[in-house]
Amino acid sequence: MDAFEAEELQSRMQAGIDLAKRLGAAGARLAFQRTDKIDCGFEAGRLKDTGRKQSLSYGVEVLVEGRKGNTSSNRLQDLETMIERAVTLARVGSIAHFDAYPAPGNPASVKTCSDSTRQLSRERMIEACQQIVDIIKDYDPTLFITCAANRTASENVLVTSGGVIHWAERTHWELGAFVQRTTGTDMLFAGYRRGWCDLNEFYDPALIAQKIVTDLRLGESIAAPVRGKLPVYVPPETVGQLLRPVFMGTNGRNVTKGDSPLAGRLNEPVLASSLTIIDNPHQDYGSGSRIIDNYGIPTEQQTIFEKGRLKRYLYDLDSAGLAGARPTGNNSCAPYSPAILPGTRSSSQLLADIKDGLYVRDLIGFGQSNIINGDFSGNVGLGYRIKDGRIIGRVKNTMIAGNLYHLLKEDVLPSSDTEYQGRYPHLVIDGVSVSAP
Amino acid sequence: MKNRLLEALKKNSADYAEIRVETEENTHLAYRGQEVESAVSSTFSGGMARACVKGGWGMVAFDSLDNLGEHVEEACRCAALVGKEKTDLAEVEPHEEEHPAMLARDPRGIGLDEKLRLIQRYNKIILGAHPSVESSMVSYGDSFRTVYFASTRGHYCMEERPRIYCAFQVTARNGSLVQRTHDSVASAVTYDAVVGLEEKVRQTADRAVALLKAPKVNGGPKTVVLDHRLGGVFVHEAFGHLSEADFLYENPKLRNLMVLGREMGPATLNVVDDGSLDRRIGTLWCDDEGTPTRKTYLIKNGSLAGHLHSLETAAKMDARPTGNARAIGRGYPPVVRMTNTYIENGPVPVKEIFADIEEGIYACDAFGGQTEFEMFTFSAGYGYRIEQGEIGELVRDVVLAGNVFETLKAIDGIANDLEICEGAGGCGKGGQAPLPVTFGAPHIRIRDVIIGGEH
Repeated sequence: MDAFEAEELQSRMQAGIDLAKRLGAAGARLAFQRTDKIDCGFEAGRLKDTGRKQSLSYGVEVLVEGRKGNTSSNRLQDLETMIERAVTLARVGSIAHFDAYPAPGNPASVKTCSDSTRQLSRERMIEACQQIVDIIKDYDPTLFITCAANRTASENVLVTSGGVIHWAERTHWELGAFVQRTTGTDMLFAGYRRGWCDLNEFYDPALIAQKIVTDLRLGESIAAPVRGKLPVYVPPETVGQLLRPVFMGTNGRNVTKGDSPLAGRLNEPVLASSLTIIDNPHQDYGSGSRIIDNYGIPTEQQTIFEKGRLKRYLYDLDSAGLAGARPTGNNSCAPYSPAILPGTRSSSQLLADIKDGLYVRDLIGFGQSNIINGDFSGNVGLGYRIKDGRIIGRVKNTMIAGNLYHLLKEDVLPSSDTEYQGRYPHLVIDGVSVSAP
Repeated sequence: MKNRLLEALKKNSADYAEIRVETEENTHLAYRGQEVESAVSSTFSGGMARACVKGGWGMVAFDSLDNLGEHVEEACRCAALVGKEKTDLAEVEPHEEEHPAMLARDPRGIGLDEKLRLIQRYNKIILGAHPSVESSMVSYGDSFRTVYFASTRGHYCMEERPRIYCAFQVTARNGSLVQRTHDSVASAVTYDAVVGLEEKVRQTADRAVALLKAPKVNGGPKTVVLDHRLGGVFVHEAFGHLSEADFLYENPKLRNLMVLGREMGPATLNVVDDGSLDRRIGTLWCDDEGTPTRKTYLIKNGSLAGHLHSLETAAKMDARPTGNARAIGRGYPPVVRMTNTYIENGPVPVKEIFADIEEGIYACDAFGGQTEFEMFTFSAGYGYRIEQGEIGELVRDVVLAGNVFETLKAIDGIANDLEICEGAGGCGKGGQAPLPVTFGAPHIRIRDVIIGGEH
């Protein structure tokens, strides 16, 4: 969008706010997004498709007599109609737990847009995917390999009756592969993907391929079934998945509505003292980085658990009003870029100390059950048996189960090293229930 | 629109091209706890042009309906970058069809106030059910999607695909123990399907309260009886996805594993996918490549009998297209998906299914499920112990997992009480979710299923 187009759009959105007010709204919020994405995909180790996706969408929210009405569309020519519809909807809409849209704050300065990512061409993405495929095929030419890359450039405009006029650009790339090995009725799946806003050293096809080959090598032999209460070694790629129930618990709306088991537990030791969990939306070029929320409220770097103690719930504007709390600038009351602070010992040292345990690389079906309570049960999609500090083979037909709040409160050790984004370390979680036939 | 699509296709320079344009209107209302949580209305239009050159695909998603021919041209350019082999797509007889929706009671003619009163009534039932009911979520939604499709093969389809749904979730709490139950109803036929659900809502609330006192199920291998819904999720997740030929056609080892005629289960096991089943939410006249839908046996008399196909997978596996290439909406390419998938009735009266089980689990309802080909995990909403053939104590956190080949062979009882479930959720694959599907089964008994749980 050039400067002229941006100015024209902003003035059209400002006119939309004025229209909402003329129709009786006490306030209004308009958010516009335009995205341009190019991609390529490999199937069975061969280039299969390339494409482009251009999209435009906008959302309208109006406040009428203390209630909200929301509409959305991708037809800019219908903007005025959608505003009128939002005003009508507000008659039966949700109660707004705030009086007015907030005035502009002072957001942090965070880089989210990179020219090098914007210039990432389809041809270069095809080259990267081909390199990944070639490395994996060198290891085993019979593998079934899918590989994909994409590059997105987007523009967001937010205009509110509180005076917020915010325009932001963002770029992002993703590159990854997924491999399937079939031997009789035995199948092994291994995959790895990276993404970032800047096209830096993280864009590394060889490293992505090597991560997958490492998993394939570790899974070459099958270990005897393992059962009982065991320590589980969790790599950073799986840690984020395990934290989902915790962030459902710290969701301020869930807390206020009575859905969270963490309600009323501020400042209590909820997790092990080894765990400090923060939300850091201000990392330059971070995939989850963001400087304002959907209402224009500046986002914050914040500590959610400090040495295991619950320090805060996360609130968007409406949920904060409902709870009588201060909004933390978190859309949908969820963290943008959560991170666990690293521990003191390396992941290889932690692994070496495990006498008998399980390395869980991928869980199938985690999050499909009643996880808000912390109870989980998941099929180990890809996992390895650990014996005397060494990985001795892949486990099959194995499930792990437990209550995440109980497990993360006991003996949990984060590693000193983290994955490439610096967010998650490896974790060793003791006492996980493991079952197998 | 037909003429605009056909005009746009004149820009084709590929071996094959198609263009799909969609419009959709959606309404969503929800209560959470005592208050209205959301009142949202949306309207979108857009589409996708696809082209195939020497076996390589170009795909262009667009929101603007201006200059449709340019999108076709760009898709052809993208495809030309890719293709190095031969375009191989199955033939389907050229046809032109228009299928307006035939709604018994159209939700678009019903006021917001009435829809809101309906879910308010359900919400009150939940909140008044018991002091331990902490919160509720009751939502109503309707969507009306119109799909226009044309291809260079001479196919043209227009189809309206309406959907109406109502979903309710109950949260009960006792100290730090939180239990959630849910249920939902969906229809492609009438608004009346979501009216009169008071008893179903009450049962959902009562179950959440009862689960607070229910013990966790113990882990380990057990004989399990699945109810209609969980049996349906099992056949969808554990087996249905494995039958989708886009996973198979370029993968010789997997093709060998899923070769037609392979014995999969007992001779009484028949599994079907039927996109032409009468006016269900998974039903459509033509798929998103313009192929008419039909009934396909995936397992017949215990043996593998068919796969689900797109034009490309059918050509490459020397099969007939089954009408299973589906896109979740504008901007997405069609991929091979299920429609209405179910296990047909077996020979056993339902009482006999439980009769000779000394110790087992009756697993009911589905929280969800996920599969990685042979491995599956799915969560029951709740369950009961079975002792000496009798259904006993309520238990919670019933998660089942296993290997589909072993589990299908371990089926040793199929009842004669098939029910097909139409709910608010849907199927996910390749970033396209939730796609409207139905699933169902009679009660089925399976030996030695791994139940997840603590020791």
